[in-house]
Parts: sequence; C-alpha cells; structure tokens
Amino acid sequence: MSLRPRTLLIAALGGEGGGVLAEWIVSAALQAKLPVQATSVPGVAQRTGATSYYIEMMDEPAPEGLTPVLALVPVPGRIDYMISSEHLETARLLERGFASPERTVLISSTSRVYTTAEKMQMGDGRFDPERLDRLCHDLSHAYIALDLERLALDNGTVVSAPMFGALAAAGAFPFSREVCEAAIRAGGRGAEASLKGFAAAFTATRVALDQSADAPAPTQEPAPPSDALKKVVALGQGRCAEYQDEAYAELFLDRVRLLRDAAGSTEDPRQEHALEEGVRRLALWMAYEDIPRVADLKTRKERFTRIRRDAEMRDDQILHVVEYLKPGIEEIAAMLPPKLGNVLMRRAASGKETWPFGRGVNISTTGVTGYWTMRALAGFGRIRRSSLRFAEETAAIERWLAAMRQALQGSPAFAGALAELPRLLKGYGDTHLRGRANYAAIWDGIVMPALSSGQLEVVAPKLRQAIAAALADPEGKTLRRALA
Amino acid sequence: MAEVSFSKEIKLLKLGQGETFHGEGILAVTKALLQSGVTYVGGYQGAPVSHLLDVMVEAKDLMGELGVHVQACTNEASAAAMLGASIMYPVRGAVTWKSIVGTNVAADALSNLSSPGVMGGALIVVGEDYGEGASVIQERTHAFAMKSTMWLMDPRPNLPTIVRMVEKSFELSEASNAPVIMELRIRACHVRGSFTASDNIAPKISARELQKMPAEFLYDRLAHPPVTYKHEKLKFEVRMPAARQFIRDHKLNEIFDGTHNDVGLIVQGGLYNGLIRALQEIGLADAYGRTDIPILALNVVYPLVPEEITAFAAGRKAIAVIEEGQPEYIEHEIGAILRRADLNTVLHGKDMFLQAGEYTTEVLVNGLVKLLAQHLPSIDTSHGAGFARELSVLRGKAQAILAGPLPARPPGFCIGCPERPVFAALKLAEREVGKVHVSADIGCHALATFEPFSFGNSILGYGMSLASSAGVQGFSQKRPIAIMGDGGFWHNGLLSGVTSSLLNHGDQILVIMKNGYTSATGTQDVISTPQAEAREKAAGASTVDSDLTIENTLKGMGVKWLRTVNNYRVGDMRKTIVEAMRTPFDGLKVIIAEGECQLERQRRLRPIRAKLLGEGKRVVRERFGVDEDTCTGDHSCIRLSGCPTLTVKPSSDPLKTDPVAHVTNGCVGCGLCGANAHAATLCPSFFRAEIVSNPNWIDRAKAGLRRALTAGAA
Repeated sequence: MSLRPRTLLIAALGGEGGGVLAEWIVSAALQAKLPVQATSVPGVAQRTGATSYYIEMMDEPAPEGLTPVLALVPVPGRIDYMISSEHLETARLLERGFASPERTVLISSTSRVYTTAEKMQMGDGRFDPERLDRLCHDLSHAYIALDLERLALDNGTVVSAPMFGALAAAGAFPFSREVCEAAIRAGGRGAEASLKGFAAAFTATRVALDQSADAPAPTQEPAPPSDALKKVVALGQGRCAEYQDEAYAELFLDRVRLLRDAAGSTEDPRQEHALEEGVRRLALWMAYEDIPRVADLKTRKERFTRIRRDAEMRDDQILHVVEYLKPGIEEIAAMLPPKLGNVLMRRAASGKETWPFGRGVNISTTGVTGYWTMRALAGFGRIRRSSLRFAEETAAIERWLAAMRQALQGSPAFAGALAELPRLLKGYGDTHLRGRANYAAIWDGIVMPALSSGQLEVVAPKLRQAIAAALADPEGKTLRRALA
Repeated sequence: MAEVSFSKEIKLLKLGQGETFHGEGILAVTKALLQSGVTYVGGYQGAPVSHLLDVMVEAKDLMGELGVHVQACTNEASAAAMLGASIMYPVRGAVTWKSIVGTNVAADALSNLSSPGVMGGALIVVGEDYGEGASVIQERTHAFAMKSTMWLMDPRPNLPTIVRMVEKSFELSEASNAPVIMELRIRACHVRGSFTASDNIAPKISARELQKMPAEFLYDRLAHPPVTYKHEKLKFEVRMPAARQFIRDHKLNEIFDGTHNDVGLIVQGGLYNGLIRALQEIGLADAYGRTDIPILALNVVYPLVPEEITAFAAGRKAIAVIEEGQPEYIEHEIGAILRRADLNTVLHGKDMFLQAGEYTTEVLVNGLVKLLAQHLPSIDTSHGAGFARELSVLRGKAQAILAGPLPARPPGFCIGCPERPVFAALKLAEREVGKVHVSADIGCHALATFEPFSFGNSILGYGMSLASSAGVQGFSQKRPIAIMGDGGFWHNGLLSGVTSSLLNHGDQILVIMKNGYTSATGTQDVISTPQAEAREKAAGASTVDSDLTIENTLKGMGVKWLRTVNNYRVGDMRKTIVEAMRTPFDGLKVIIAEGECQLERQRRLRPIRAKLLGEGKRVVRERFGVDEDTCTGDHSCIRLSGCPTLTVKPSSDPLKTDPVAHVTNGCVGCGLCGANAHAATLCPSFFRAEIVSNPNWIDRAKAGLRRALTAGAA
C-alpha cells in the first residue's frame, strides 16, 4: 500500500491548454482506477499570465473503506514530477522551492515567451538563459530540457499535448502510454494532432533520458582562438559595400586600420573587446538607416520570401504587403543635398505648414505603383554622399573615431565604453532624435571633459553607467540623474 | 458568452441516482443545487464561481424541464435581493458571486434579508477569493456572516462533502429560518474530483408549477421598524439555537480521532486537506487521513456549537485553531466559549500560525512544529523542523544562481485586445497635455496598471472610477480621467458615477470601454451586448457599434459632451482625449471607446474561417510584421503595446547585439501596430501582410501581373 500520493506540478501560461492537460491526466488516472485529484489557479480569463495546475494521485486503488485525502496546494520540495511550458516560469517555481534535488524529475521547455518587462527595455532586457538552465540543473533530481513549443508547432498542436507525452515518457504516471493516448482520443476535438504532439515529445524525452544516462555530462567545447575581430571586420566590410559601394567599404577598412593602429598589438582582452565593439559600431553607424536604405531593404526579393516563411505560407497562397510609413520632414531633408535640406529644415523650424510631410502613408510594396515608388526612393542612395545627413553623420563618426583612437591608446576600459556609445543612436523619428540628444548629452558631459583632462581610466565606469542610464527609460530620467 | 459551449458540463448536470460525476468543484455545487430542488438561481459572475451561473444560463432546456428560474443579475445586490423570494414563500433559492467584493455590493440586501429571515432555504455560494491567484482585496466573508447572522459553511474540499453540505445548507436554512453562505476557496472551486450523484428534484413551486396566490401581508416579515427589533431578538433567541441544534443533530462538523489526546486541532473545513498534508510531512498522518493528532473539522464555521467545542477541548492540555485570514473570529469565539465553560485548555491559533496570508502546507508545518514542541515534546518533530531548513537552503541556492529577481509575468491584454490601443493613445496624449490623474476601475482595462502602460492612480471598486475622481477634480488643475468598462458601467458606474457627476456638474472625463461584454469574468452578456444577428453578420469584425444602449442612456440622462471613437484609430483617440482635456466645456465629458472584445470576435471567426478553408473557398487573413533589418532594437513599439505577439528575438544580423522586435504568427491583425507606427511616428519597420488562401483566378492573374511588373520581387 502506497502511503504517499504521487505529486505533479504543471506550469503554463494562460491559454496554453493547461486545463486540457490536467483533464487528460485525470481521466487517464480514472481509467486506471486510481484515486486522483487536480486543481488549479487559472487566474483571470485573460491570456498570458502565469498559471499552475496541481495533481495528486495514488499509485494503487484505495483499499476498501478508505479514501485518500489529497492536497489542493503543491508543497515546496515535495513535487515528484514538474513540467513547464516556458523556461522562465520553470525558474519561478524553482525560486519558490517547489523542486527538490532529491526527488523532482523536472521537464522544462527551453522556449521563452518574453515578459513585457523584458521586451520593453530599450536595449536587451532578456533574462540570462544560462542562469535559468543552471537553476534547472542544480535544483532538480533529473532535468529534461526540451523545446516543447517547437514540438507543438511542428505537429500542428498546442503545447499541452507534447507536455503530456513528455510526462508519460519520463515515468510520471503509474499507467501506460496507451492509457494516456486513450484519454486524448476520448477528449475528441483535435485528437489526431494532439496524439502526434504526444508521440513526438514522448520520443524526444526518451532520447534525452538515454543520453543523460549513457554519456557523462557534456563538457563545454573549448572556445576556438578568438578570430572574432576578423569576423566583425569582414561583416562590416560587406555591409558597407552592400549599403553603398566598394569605395565605401574601403573607407570602412581605412577607419578600422586607424582604430587598430591606435590599439596596438596588445593581448589585453579588454582592449581586444573595445576594438571589436568599436568596429561593430562603426559598421552599423556607417550603414545608418535613412529613407533610401529602408526603401531598398523593403523591396528586396529575400524580404518577401522571409515574410512568406514567417507567416508559414504555402506556395499557392498570395501575399499583399502594405507598409506603414510616416517620414518626418527631417528625414526627407536628410536625404537631400545640404542646401535644399536646410531650406526644408528651416521651414520646419519656423512652424510653417509642412504638408505633405509628416503624414502617415500606406504603400503597398507588392503593388506596382508602391513598388516602383519605393525603388525610386531607394535610388536616392546613389546620391547619398552629397546628402545633408551624410555630411552630419560623417562629421560625427570622425569625431567619435578620433576619440576612440585617443581612448584606445589611453584606457582600454574607457575605449570599451566609448565603443558602445553609438548604440544609443537608434530608431527613427522621435526615437532617433531622443537617441541623438542622449548621445550629445553624454558626449558633452562626460566624453569631452575626460578626453581633455586625460582622466580616462577614472571616468570609464561613469561613461558605462551613463550609457546604461540612457537605455534605462525613454523619458531620460535616469540619464539626467547619472549626468547630474 | 454566446460563443462558448458548455455541452459537456450540462451533461454532468443531468446525471441521475447512482451515477458518478467527475468534474470541477463549482460544477458539483451546481449539480447539488438541482439535487436540492432549487426554484430559482441568480448571481453575478466573477472568478472562481462564474462557471456556476454560466453553465446554468446555457442549460436552458434542463432548467425548463425542472422549472428552475435562472437570472444573470446585473450586480450582486440584485442577486442578493432575489433571495427575498424565500422570505414569504417555501421555495429554495441560491445565488452566487465572488467575495469579498460581491458580498460588499450585496451587503444592503443581505441585511434586509437576514433580519426577517427566510421560510424557504436560501443559499449564497461565494468564491472566497483569497490567497494565491486571488484578484481582490484580502478580506473575509466571515465578518458579513457574523454581522448579519447568516450561517457560514466552509466544507472540506472534496466533492462528496461539498455536495452534502450544499444539500444540508438548505435544510439548515429552513430549520433555522436564516440564510446560509457557503464559502469556497479558489482551488476548491477548481478541484477536479468525483461523487455519486442523486436525481435532480423538480421544485414544488416553480416556473412550471406556478404559485396561484401571492403571499399574505405580514408586517413581521418586513425589514422595517418596529419589527426589526423583534428580528434581532429572534436571531439570537430562536434562529441560532435552532441552527446549532441542526448542526449537532446532523453532525455537520466532523471529528477525526487521534492517538495523542493532549492536543487537539480545530480547523476550518476548507483547510482540512492541507492540514492532513502538513501532518503527513511531520509523520503524524497517512495518505488516507488517519491522524495521530485529533482534529475537529468545522464544515460550519458560523455559528460554532459551544457544546462541540467544549467537548473537544475538555481534557486536553491545548487546542489550536487553524483559521486562515484575519481577524481570527473563530479563535476569539472559541476563547470566549472556553472561558465561559471555565475550561483551562490552552488556546493557540494565530500565535503559532501566520497572522495574515494563505495557510500553505509550509505555514502549517511550521506552526504545528512549534505547537507540538510546546505541548507534546515526546513527539519527534525533527522531520517537520528539517522541512523548513531544507526549503530555506533550496531557496537560498536558487537566489544565488539567479542573482536577482525574475521578471514578473502579470496577466495582460489578449492578442488584439481593443482596450490596448486606448492606453497607447492615452500615453501619446500625455506627451501633449502632460501627466494626468487616471482613476482606474475593475475589469480588463485594469491590466493597463501593469507594464508597459502603468496607468492608474486609484482603484476604488467595480464601476467606481468616475465617482472616485469626483474628489480629485475638486483640487486638480488638470481634469482627471476615469476609465470604466461597459461591465462596470452597468454594474454600478452609471448610478454611482454618471448621475452623481451630472447632479454636481462635475468637470470630469469618463472613458467607457465599449467592448460588448463583461470580458474579464468570461465575456458574459450585458444589456448593451450586440444582438445575435449583428454578431453573426459581423463575423470577425467588431460589431459593438450596432448597439447604442449606452449612448442613448447617457444622452437621455443629459450628457452633452459625448464622443464615440474607434479604438484602433489611435490618432483619433489621442486627439479626442486631448480635446476632452482642453475643451472649455464645463461638465461631464464622455468618450465611448468602441471595439468589440477580441476573444469573442476570434471565437466567432475561427469556425467560419475553418469552414471556408475546408470548402476550398477564398479566405483573407491579415497579420502584421516587423522588418528585422530595419528594426534598430529600441522597442518603442513594445512600450506602446505589450501585445503578446509583439515580442523580441535575437537579430539575425550578426552585427546587431540588441534583440529586434518581432511579430509572431499568433497575430490577429488588429491594426494597432500600424496605427501606433503612424500616431507615434515610430519607425518604418511595420508592415501589414494580407494572405489570400484559395485565391480565385482574379487574385492569381493580378498576382502574376504584379510579379511581372515588379521585376519578380513581389
């Protein structure tokens, strides 16, 4: 007689079918004549919130006259099997202490559904996946990592089906695979796809278990000798050639040479990093996004192929693409020669009517007119060198390059931070203006004084903090505090 | 609601004598109501009890057969008032809502109900929304039961007990002429279990068996002076003794004997399973509930039966009351009972367990270890004590690895939700008029209090936003904005907010989210829900504009400044908000934000689309996308949206380090991304893709021509 119920905890996001999974498990257990109880905190009707389902069952039918008393709330450290459809949600349960290294078989999807808090950051707000993985390893008895989302997508089903298959394969149930599959079939709608998803995850879990049993833990391959810089240079060269022409790529290489010379032949990894980062930012900066560039990228053949692929389109389906464009007067001015551009800018500054600029327009790039309109705009790229924006960017790049050279000679730490500064020059329209203003504020407030005083090493942390502050909030509150 | 099917649930409600019911707790309660022969059922939706009413409303045939009248009330006060039918007629009735909030709203009617008392059984099933997963203020229904002298059931959370207690509640109510409340915690409502069903009972007086004569005039049954003085006496001299007698005679409370008789545990029925699990953890109980420490499980937590308490406490060194939430009403009452009986048994409770917060197994284990160490030192509690240590080590390890808090994942607006664009517009409007005071409300729109919007300076209850901004407008330079859903508007907002503002010539702004349903509780209908024909015609489009009940009501009441805006036109919405902020018009300004609940639209659209696709017919699907090679990874778009399908992914450009924005294939093409791109001058990366399945020959010819004329690109 088993005196302890088997405990299962399921973590999912709202709308992923966690309720269906719980129902399958309950009906399979009932089929096997085992006492079972499931409960949940499904939260509100809306999607995307974290939810959990908790199931207890006995391994054998209850003796005559006895009924098991099953708990409704999962007990930390006392979960036998835990499965989660999302990596961060797994971590959330582990953080609360639900899994135990002595007992818990943990199956976690490695897929991520980023939280709003992570997505909305101006830079990269994603939680470090390595920490999630380490947590899963260290706080479970056995850890089976699967991409459950992929398994669901590939089999045309929702994630609950592969979750069921993975649990079955991991030995979470005191009944057979056939009983599980019968429960899915009894569930009716979508059973075929569910069964496929179940089977795929079942196999994947068995493979994962065999691997972890046979082989010692895979050791990290030693990283190959760093040719990262070479790679970035090659990428940058290609980018500039494709953006403008070969001569522009040559200009890029000349600028890289200047940085390299300034850096010298050092083995200091900080210096290497600063140089690599500097080259990366230089390439991105030189290939800045203006109207001709955007128009060019939007009318490339591979772009339409990508859209078809992302939308999982079949060949017999037809695609129309409509662009949402709202070029501001500054952006129009930017692609014109300085004289003409400045006239426009003055007009804008004087507050006069600037119609038709600054209006939202929808252009169909799959339509004949729209396509050729965009191609015509892309054609302005050929006179880019004589545009207002090009002159401005070139001047700014040159200033930054000179500063980088001084920094690379003086302080690798400062150079590393300064290399990152152009990261602030992002976006279009208001976003771009904000980035420029932040860049200028840091340049004037920190970079210039540091360069003239030569106190680079001391100021380096402050520069790094200011860049982080500029990316902390769009209102610039954090940056103002950092510069105060 | 129309788009959700409850056929499986309805089948369970039809089970007869001896058949086994497998299903959710709240559905078991529903079945138990029918087995008890209720004449009428009412209520107001809210997790975790929405299901009770939703299923009954859909089970028209079965209700018709039995003659049960079902009413989806417009608020809890209206539901509570329904129970007035049981004051003068021998009919059983039940109502349901989410507590504590629903009970607050119902309080007036409940007082007036329980003063005269009832003839037919009256049961109030409340979802005790407490602890993990709760969405309301953490207070206890217990206080209401005590103040109005209604009996309170808190059954052990297994289906046979819950069902038995529902049936007994009606008998108890009739035996003592008092209404009965049954509180069910969130997990108890959602627990999946089994019980053996009985036949449903068709009520003697019902929609089929009509009462011929109205009740006679009896002033004694009115909650009106001077008889209210008599009622108060009746409550304590007649009804409570009768209730206690019934509770004792029918053994509604249960004793589980143990072996260590020096200590006894008195537990709210709802916590019993958790207590057994905690005892197991210390090694004092087994999986079948056989315990070493004696337990008195209170399936009825109010009133207590003093004789039961003293009998249980007598001869023990100590008893502990395991009572969740605060204040500890039961413990206080037991203290008084023990003193009056001059029993010297030591009383424990909140001193051993947690004062505020959910009684999880962990809390119970820790409390029990303390209790036993003091009163039963011979028992080995090392296992229980080790449990706390083990967990603290585990959590410490997790903390060390994570090196910081995990990002929170609160619920958010659904994909394509029509309320999201309104807050995008409000965010943009603030760029023009500066920060505004936002009075938030209850409903889906309260999700705007989370990132990326973080709107809302106060929440004062369902439909209370406009009323709660009345004070603020009195001393604010800028007009406050109150947000309200159509659900909240009809629940309470119309009277508490609009009429009060009009009466006082308030200079306020009210935004009504006209999405057509009370969506947050599961898209139940409101009086302004679009008609079935309009919905059918609209398919996947919004059809809330087909109903003008809200507009006509407001106009009829004298609202002069009224604008209706399509939510997805972010620029228009922004302009209208700015206009409302700046207009010289002195008086209530109402913006109707129109956009039908996307959940309902998609539920309608999916089968239609599947059918067309299955028949090989032409179907156009729209979705938005982001060009990753023009996206610079600033994520401004996400800060104005928060849509689950607008996310980030690593850039496939090896030069870019920041993740780029990305629209997943779950996009329903609501249009917000495009509207935001225009209204906020975001970036040129957004595009709308129209995907034509099963194209006709015109589509194909056009596509061929386009390809030829665009150098094969398109």
